[in-house]
Amino acid sequence: MTRTSLRAALIALGIGLVAVLAAGCGASEDAPKGAKKMAFKLTDAGCEPSAAKAPAGPINFEVENAGTSKVTEMEVLDGETVLGEKENLTEGLSGSFALTLEQGEYTIYCPGGDNERGTLTVSGKLDSKDSPEVEAAIAQYREYLKKNTDELVAKTTPFVAAVVAGNIAEAKALYPAARVPYERIEPVAESFGDLDPRIDARENDVPPSKFEGFHRIEKALWAENTAKGMAPVAEQLLADVKELQGKVKNVNLQAVQIANGANELLGEVSASKITGEEERYSHIDLVDFEANVEGAQVAFEAVEPLLVKSDPKLAKEIEASFKQVYASLDPYRDGAGFVSYEELTQADTRKLAREIDTLAEQLSQVPAQIVGG
Amino acid sequence: MSPLTRRRLLASAGVGAAGIGLGASGYLVGRDTAEADEGTGSVPFYGEHQAGIDTPAQDRLHFAAFDLVDGSRTDLQEMLREWSRAAAEMTAGELIGDVNNERLAPPDDTGETVGLLPSRLTVTIGFGPGLFEHQSLGLAGQRPAALRTIPSLPADELDAAQSGGDICVQACSDDPQVAFHAIRNLARIGRGTVAMRWSQLGFGRTASTSRSQETPRNLMGFKDGTANIRAEDLEAMRRHVWLGAGDGPAWMRGGSYMVTRRIRMLLEVWDRSALSDQEETIGRAKYSGAPLGESEEFDPIDLEAEKNGKPAIPVDSHVRLASASVNDGERILRRGYSFTDGVDPRLGELDAGLFFICFQRDPEKQFVAIQRRLGANDALNEYIKHVGSAVFAVPPGARQGGYVGETLLG
Repeated sequence: MTRTSLRAALIALGIGLVAVLAAGCGASEDAPKGAKKMAFKLTDAGCEPSAAKAPAGPINFEVENAGTSKVTEMEVLDGETVLGEKENLTEGLSGSFALTLEQGEYTIYCPGGDNERGTLTVSGKLDSKDSPEVEAAIAQYREYLKKNTDELVAKTTPFVAAVVAGNIAEAKALYPAARVPYERIEPVAESFGDLDPRIDARENDVPPSKFEGFHRIEKALWAENTAKGMAPVAEQLLADVKELQGKVKNVNLQAVQIANGANELLGEVSASKITGEEERYSHIDLVDFEANVEGAQVAFEAVEPLLVKSDPKLAKEIEASFKQVYASLDPYRDGAGFVSYEELTQADTRKLAREIDTLAEQLSQVPAQIVGG
Repeated sequence: MSPLTRRRLLASAGVGAAGIGLGASGYLVGRDTAEADEGTGSVPFYGEHQAGIDTPAQDRLHFAAFDLVDGSRTDLQEMLREWSRAAAEMTAGELIGDVNNERLAPPDDTGETVGLLPSRLTVTIGFGPGLFEHQSLGLAGQRPAALRTIPSLPADELDAAQSGGDICVQACSDDPQVAFHAIRNLARIGRGTVAMRWSQLGFGRTASTSRSQETPRNLMGFKDGTANIRAEDLEAMRRHVWLGAGDGPAWMRGGSYMVTRRIRMLLEVWDRSALSDQEETIGRAKYSGAPLGESEEFDPIDLEAEKNGKPAIPVDSHVRLASASVNDGERILRRGYSFTDGVDPRLGELDAGLFFICFQRDPEKQFVAIQRRLGANDALNEYIKHVGSAVFAVPPGARQGGYVGETLLG
């Protein structure tokens, strides 16, 4: 289980929230083509106009400080969530930001003004047609999600059967294969309520009464050398992965979200796989490590055509860095799997961490580059 | 988009003298590198020499040694360009980079110095001997003869993990957060080309490099740096520190050599020594800093002076063995910092001491020769251990539009 970030949760939930394609620090060239231009002035009173209307779709907010020292920024909020903003506009400065908004009531917030909050009423239906490349990216990635949730169910089923039958050796042998498909697509699981902690929480992530899923069984099998009492935990795990399989069928995806998912997978590696904290009892962390990287690579390749349009050099660098990461894992392969994490020395983990940091630093540049594509 | 400057954020706050510490004689005439801006504490990055050598020693240090990962010469050039640009921005109180307000992108600057003055930040870059051995760079023929790993010296207890390095960065500032931020951001910029090898945080300067500064005390409670070379002594700087024409390869002209030594102090043992023991070990009075037998800190050291038929300054005292007259007139510019890194897990004792930094024209003739003498004879050895060591060639300063290392890499 990852430590979810607020931003990831915000972006991942396509459901119930507006679809947002934001370019925070842009000149109007960054706004999607055909974006409606709306001009706002910052004055001592706040934002003007304080009651605005717009049709659903892409909007470019052009903000100018018309001569106030009290107000230097404008934000557009949905409830308490900031969707977009422009800051640091002191007297005489202007700037812009772009948002794509669905029908609804939004707040325009200009802190420091006499009348800080105004309203923006958006009406009509959002024509959310993505470009063909974006649609292709999303379709490709959705296919990968489906394939892996199917595999997750397919591999968890015999694992669960072995646990229920009390067959410790067999359960241990089947455990890694069930972990791989989950670790490839973990960020998506995190977007569905508490499915991720139920499936993948580690012992100190949750209160003892809530410790279930893969790692509870892992602890029983490896640390306690038993499957006693694990039947209900195993059955629940199977039910949970089936639930994930169902949810993924209809998940809402954005290109930026897929790119962010790649970043999150590498964050996973840095936070718990490289440290051996993920698989505390079985020590198959390198198996998870590779699965996380594979998942990140597929996510990246889905959006790569969008990146190549704006920064082909970065795309090449990232591809080279992925190769480098796989190569750095090669010394630790053992048959179809990997050596136990316990065999790694500090020099080993340091080298792996270095490769991951290099790749992750490059990958973190991608979402901003593909926005509006 | 106009660059967000830390200075602008403080425009209305009024800038006090906090963190600048230059005192009344803030502007020092006759120094080789430019002085700090009195208002903002900004030390110019560009110049004939790199700043951070004869700059009046700041209060805080963050030092890092890096190893080259895999990289072509172009990769290294590009990194050094970005490092120099970032250093120029940081020392001017600006955010690093161009992208700091793009919601979907991680900011170029990590942000913990927003609202802080540069506080006399200097960023000094050096090249270790190992850098020249990387085939991919094709620099073998350009290693200065004077740049060699410091040889094994008497009383050394070096830990390889805390020693060496292909490239170093010394970040000094009066504000610890500013010093920290500099290393952190350069390490980030360098990812993929270099990897951190070891780093050292230092609090409290243990040298004065300017006559305007009061001599600080190190963790042994003694004034440290009384006899140090001062930046205003231009003749001494040129004789002992700055490389001139004929001092090795042309690309090093205007540069210097830096030696760093992590010196652990056995404070628990020191603290239970009698005052007389301490003073005789060092060779100075503890509180005044006066050489034993004299009365004021800056009284000249008289090695011939006697007390009760014995040398006033003991033959194995630190000050005697380190003094220029005993070392063929050789001197070094010292610019070290106190450090503590928690508790030694084997003993439950403080892991603390002096992160010693010095600059010179020739490490072998200067630091190595002096330390050879100290390591073999110094009474102080009972209380210290050299546990880390490194040497770096510090290139000349960068010109506007250029970068540190340009004279080597082109």
